[in-house]
Amino acid sequence: MLQFPGNETPTTIQEVILRLKVKDASKKQVITARKTDSLRHIQNIMRKKGISAVPILEDELLVGMISLRDIITALDKSYINDVAEKHMAKSLIILEDDMPLSYAIPFFDKYSYHRFPVVDKDKRLSGILSSRDILLALLRELNNEIIELEKMINAEPADQLNRIKREFIVKKFDFENAGRASFELKKILKNINAPRQTIRKASVAAYELEINIAIHSEGGILTFEIDEKNIVITARDKGPGIEDIDLALQPGYSTASDWIRSMGFGAGMGLANTKKVSDKFIIESNPKMGSLIQSTINLHPPEESDAA
Amino acid sequence: MRPEVLISEVASKVGGKFLHQGNKRFVKWVVASSLMSDILTTEEEDILLLSNLNTVQVVRTADMIGANAIMIAGGKPVTQDMLDLARKLDISLISTNYPIFETCFQLAPLFNQEKK
Repeated sequence: MLQFPGNETPTTIQEVILRLKVKDASKKQVITARKTDSLRHIQNIMRKKGISAVPILEDELLVGMISLRDIITALDKSYINDVAEKHMAKSLIILEDDMPLSYAIPFFDKYSYHRFPVVDKDKRLSGILSSRDILLALLRELNNEIIELEKMINAEPADQLNRIKREFIVKKFDFENAGRASFELKKILKNINAPRQTIRKASVAAYELEINIAIHSEGGILTFEIDEKNIVITARDKGPGIEDIDLALQPGYSTASDWIRSMGFGAGMGLANTKKVSDKFIIESNPKMGSLIQSTINLHPPEESDAA
Repeated sequence: MRPEVLISEVASKVGGKFLHQGNKRFVKWVVASSLMSDILTTEEEDILLLSNLNTVQVVRTADMIGANAIMIAGGKPVTQDMLDLARKLDISLISTNYPIFETCFQLAPLFNQEKK
């Protein structure tokens, strides 16, 4: 099992690792050689194909492996023209393609090999597995898993007004996507029939904070929490923190670079503007922890309920 | 009260070309800026957002403040992703060859009816 120090492995990841089999990750197109081929021939194959190990077959059955290290030794000891059979590694550590991937992962720690041949039920070579193949398979699978999870999040019905909570990851300098989270908030507020003014204030606050994370931080998370009374928009980033908060709140003050300005941002109005539309505004920052900015907006303006 | 001015009237005043015609037919005011944060400070309603910045963020900003239409001045080419988003949000998207100042100059009389 994979262990991440200090963190519990989320169940989704555990499931993915347990679900995947060796054959889901292994590379299927394996370049092989015969045991009667010369080491010179195998060296040429390695060079041309850019690989560092070649399984050796006899009648389609795996009988050995020649690694780049074997080739180097052969060159050093001047027996590069010998046949593979004479020098190949014969006692191999082999994986079966139906093994769970979680079973194969510790092999990379246990043995000093960088790759393992994979055989099927009939002991025929079906692939080869390197740590890179495992990483690619895990990434692919996690990617699919996250797409599914995101679908579930988006499918959450908005009419349960007790408490709606959404979280969005905002990446540094990702202007293509910056604004999408705010767009989602606007959609949610429209769905729950929030007053027009409230939608506008919340959209402006969310958008400013979202753009802020993209422009000024190393990336962060934008969270929306909506209950019967308030909309709470929280922007948390990974740093570098705001040096002088009072100065940052001053309209027109900006640390944005020219290219950010050329895209229409960095007018120095973001924080001041967010504060203006907020009914409650909190800002905390320090160079180590990054910044936390929270804007709370009343779902229903007090005047309206009084006047009605 | 701001007067309601037809978006089609606004467009024809500056030889504007409709790239997308949205469901809202009128605007009450124009906010002209290419700084998104400046635009977000406005408290005007049902506006035309006039800008010479041609990025998708202009359309997003327009959506955030509930603009009824967007006009890109100075003949700047409107990008496909701007057009796609404007269609999705159903906000009118107009392009004019007049630069910002000339556009404002042409449009101002339309919005000055209260003094007549």
